[in-house]
Amino acid sequence: MQKIIESVLLKAKREGASYVDVRIIERSEEDIEMSNGEIEGIKSSTSKGFGIRVIADGAWGFSSSFVFTEDEAEKVTSEAVNIAKASAKTKIEDASLSEIEIYQDKVYQHVKIDPFSVPYNQKIGLLVNLNKLMDRPQVILKKANMHFSKEWKTFASSEGAFIEQERIVTGAGISAMATDGKEVQVRSYPSSFGGDYQREGYELIDELHLEDNAERISKEAVELLTAKQCPSGKMDIVIGSSQMALQIHESVGHPSELDRVLGEEASFAGTSFLTPEKLNNFKFGSELVNIVADATVLHGLGGFAYDDEGVKGQRFYLVKNGRFVGYLNSRETSRRLNLIPMGAMRADNWNRMPIIRMTSINLDPGNKTLEELLSGVDNGLLIDTNRSWSIDQRRLNFQFVTEIGWIIRNGQIQEMVKNPTYSGITYEFWSCLDAIGSEKYYHVWGLPNCGKGEPMQVMEVSHGSSYARFRNVQVGVKK
Amino acid sequence: MITKEEIQEILNKALSLVGAEQAELVLLGGESSLTGFANNYIHRNVKENNYSLNLRVAYGKKVGASSTNDFSTEGLRSLVEAAQNIAMLQKENENFVSFAKDEKSIDFAIEVDKEDVSPDFRAEYVKRIVDKSKEKGFIASGIFENARQHIAVKNSLGVEHYGEFTYATLKSVVMTDTSSGYSIETKVKAKDISLESVLDESIRIAENSRNPGTIEPGKYEVILTPYALSEFIGAMTYLSLNARAVEQGTSFLIGRLGEKIFPELISLYDDGLSDITIPLPFDFEGVPKKKVMFFERGVAKEVVYDTFYAYKANRQSTGHSLPQPNPYSPYPMNLIMEGGDSSKDDLIKNVKRGLYVQRFWYTNPMDPRNLLITGMTRDGLFLIEDGKITRPVKNMRFTESIINAFNNCLELSKESKIMYDGGSSITVPYARIKDFNFTSGTEF
Repeated sequence: MQKIIESVLLKAKREGASYVDVRIIERSEEDIEMSNGEIEGIKSSTSKGFGIRVIADGAWGFSSSFVFTEDEAEKVTSEAVNIAKASAKTKIEDASLSEIEIYQDKVYQHVKIDPFSVPYNQKIGLLVNLNKLMDRPQVILKKANMHFSKEWKTFASSEGAFIEQERIVTGAGISAMATDGKEVQVRSYPSSFGGDYQREGYELIDELHLEDNAERISKEAVELLTAKQCPSGKMDIVIGSSQMALQIHESVGHPSELDRVLGEEASFAGTSFLTPEKLNNFKFGSELVNIVADATVLHGLGGFAYDDEGVKGQRFYLVKNGRFVGYLNSRETSRRLNLIPMGAMRADNWNRMPIIRMTSINLDPGNKTLEELLSGVDNGLLIDTNRSWSIDQRRLNFQFVTEIGWIIRNGQIQEMVKNPTYSGITYEFWSCLDAIGSEKYYHVWGLPNCGKGEPMQVMEVSHGSSYARFRNVQVGVKK
Repeated sequence: MITKEEIQEILNKALSLVGAEQAELVLLGGESSLTGFANNYIHRNVKENNYSLNLRVAYGKKVGASSTNDFSTEGLRSLVEAAQNIAMLQKENENFVSFAKDEKSIDFAIEVDKEDVSPDFRAEYVKRIVDKSKEKGFIASGIFENARQHIAVKNSLGVEHYGEFTYATLKSVVMTDTSSGYSIETKVKAKDISLESVLDESIRIAENSRNPGTIEPGKYEVILTPYALSEFIGAMTYLSLNARAVEQGTSFLIGRLGEKIFPELISLYDDGLSDITIPLPFDFEGVPKKKVMFFERGVAKEVVYDTFYAYKANRQSTGHSLPQPNPYSPYPMNLIMEGGDSSKDDLIKNVKRGLYVQRFWYTNPMDPRNLLITGMTRDGLFLIEDGKITRPVKNMRFTESIINAFNNCLELSKESKIMYDGGSSITVPYARIKDFNFTSGTEF
């Protein structure tokens, strides 16, 4: 490996690159999907390769390969330099990077139980039992899944950085879908779209208490079929921590990515309403809105020791006391706005060029109990667990559907309602936040599937939140 | 790039190492490049050389799978050991019968791009777009990507197929201070892409949609471009049109096959051999692709099958398996909606008052069974009055069911366009649809 790195750095310099970095990644993954008591898929996969990023003639180039030979490394380096020179044909100004501290480091991740050491039959046995526990008339689809990954990444740059990092991830979830022949309703645990993911070992599987919740969600899926339709109109809503993770992701995380803000994602994901003149000068929400980007949070899926530019993982505020105060940035974009590089550049594998990604974007908890949050609501809704999401390309108009809701009347949780839908304009919505639950309800949710970029990259990120109460929100869909 | 001979050698070697009763190998990969531009310059320019070898093995009804991109002898041994270990520690799947058996191959030659598409070639196309955009005082973004991919399938039951396919996509999104315009084109050969067409459409829409006025949400007659229609009906493919969704009870087609559920003008099918898509004659199990008619003149006909669901339903696979295992299978990868006799301009002329929708964005199902979809308009929304496009309006959110929209479809154009994304394509015409439900607005 050392020889390949030396070949790349030397060759790039010889061919005129002013900057080069190389990432070598070796990753193993294991996925088990069980559906209606049958193993739908069980697969182990390995992937290994290297990606080379250069600046030559003042422009960017990137090339990557799975063939681990010095000859291939030299060839791929030349390709990256030639690609950069082609990029330079449309250059407006030279690409340049903020100064950073250069590190040489090796970072291991401690886990209690290596998920790859646990035999398949133990994992399958648990999934079989979870499927059985969800068995119930009208439940047509019971799903249980597990995911494990282990990665060793080496990063080296022409500036002298040499960083090796280990990353181990575990995730699992269950869902039950019920139908009466006319509609379908679904309940998931601990969250939708695959469950919860953490930078932990197999110990997470026990911590999730999947077996304690399987029967409950199956029962709720059936109950939703006969539940009342969610009402429409303006009302107060209390949003659970899992749905808040999605709310933060779509309406805070993405719009504060500085590459989006500067138009670099305009052709696909879109741009952002958080334009540069709004930094430190825009009321994002109520004074209770304190949102941090934290790559250092323990076990958080969006966390890491160093990003893919060798910048150390950090914790800093995006929104402080309701005011917009920070962007997720890269070395290049931070230089353009004269900001401190905060380490948000990541690629989803060796064959992708890093782009700005969310770390762990978390809403600071408040001090209210759930009872206190509910007691302030005369007529409203308690909702949780995302079912569907959609937001415009500047991250303003959103409409989200959750799996389940309950009417709140005179401060008390009342009957269950189905298809809870709420919508709004991002900064107007966050201005309606008037109370946040305490640390007791706070959880950092791991989302393994954030899609962004061309070519597409799927990134692991996380979001922490407690319950949150919003006043006078549009609920339901206009006919 | 690996040669065809090297691919065959890898497959033969891996197969010889397998001790299981059945084995299936799928090798997929190649080279792909993408030149991305934003703010009128190339900001991301990348190349990838990667392959993945997927192995499935079966001991009776126990199936295991593994994949790798390490094709050394040691790498292949690890691949085989992993799949066999999984299979042996596996619970029996009562419904598993067999991997695909050898079917007579269709004699079908895939046309590919023989020419090298260099970074300089892509940069020249991009330069033409950004130069024109700068001349107008606009900002251009987009991509020019191209790929040369190999797919090879070999199993222990005699199935053996090899194919190579190429594609290139040019996309341009041009922005002004108050608007944006969009155009995209995909072809098998990079040189067949019409730069002029992509450039003209994206600039024209951006220019014409400047300073949009406000409009109230509500029900409107709409003209959906192929971009908008493909985005809108894309969800139907994985939610409804496959054997798994029907078998699991989540498709709206349950118990309705053979029934006339849409107007006569709705005909939708999948055809992996059609030259109006990016063709591929076999699926990822090595089964030849068959034409599958989902809706013929409004009548629901059939859905797609892979080998597992075909055995389960005691019928033949239609050749629509994705690489196994996967959470989507089976999947139509060459969806085609038949057009009508009118031109796009005729469709517009027939609208008394309505909206011309260039594109939808961030569409997601709210009610999967009833195909209720929400999403935003993007990159051009125009008011149509008395058969003419009169002025641009601000973007709106729609919340509408695909089933309703098909039932409210009044006209389809004879022009159609292929939309290619992630290996699958949707080829659709312009559509005129009444009572399309817009539920809220936004600020731009």
